[in-house]
Amino acid sequence: MSTFRRSQNRANPNKLNNILSTLIFILILNVSIQIWLLYASLNNALDNNKEILLPAFIASAVLFLIGFAWLYYLPSGNFKKK
Amino acid sequence: MSKEDNLNENWKKDFPIKKQESTQVSRRDFAKFLTFVSGGLMVGSGFVAAKAYFLPKEGVQGEHFICNKDEVPVGGTRGFVIEGSTIPYILIHLESGDFRAYEQKCTHLSCSVFYKPGTGIIHCPCHEGSFDAMTGDVIAGPPPRALPQLEVFFKDNAVYVKAMAENKES
Repeated sequence: MSTFRRSQNRANPNKLNNILSTLIFILILNVSIQIWLLYASLNNALDNNKEILLPAFIASAVLFLIGFAWLYYLPSGNFKKK
Repeated sequence: MSKEDNLNENWKKDFPIKKQESTQVSRRDFAKFLTFVSGGLMVGSGFVAAKAYFLPKEGVQGEHFICNKDEVPVGGTRGFVIEGSTIPYILIHLESGDFRAYEQKCTHLSCSVFYKPGTGIIHCPCHEGSFDAMTGDVIAGPPPRALPQLEVFFKDNAVYVKAMAENKES
């Protein structure tokens, strides 16, 4: 059965480069937002503001799940001949 | 071939990993590592939320005697610690005649703060942070939060402190 992955792996290295760079860019973006969320929730927890903590955790979890699902699109490269 | 060379060769056979291969990080591995970091940050956020909800910080309980009014001159301060706690506090006698009590730990990196007489400013010498002595709010510098405050009240000539009443609106 042909999946997107087969054609993805046969793609031109330039295209693979683009895919990987985009993936890593999005992941770095996610991690940056998560760092900001953690910093903000820590500050609010120390200031006894509890309202923001749960939404911040949920947002962080959603970002992690996005990043985790994103790994599915990680190309395995077209240099391996089976 | 010297003995040393021979030893080196055997070592290389046992661990056939080239230095270049061991230090190179592929982009695939980097992406996976970023996801791992992302998971760590999510766990950290969860931990902060869980700690705030299930193990809340215990506030100051009850009323505590500090000293008599005349023991602190105008513009002067007095450090104190509440029984059963190690958090240092300072009592400030402001030039306006008011008394204020704050935690003596800067909210930035927990350096000791001190009152600058005559200015109405509580100063942190570590990174030049300034707090308003009337309210505890941050005026300048890196501190992210206002200084935690205790409520000061008087019984005759004696100065007492208790936990600040909840006023989230302010």
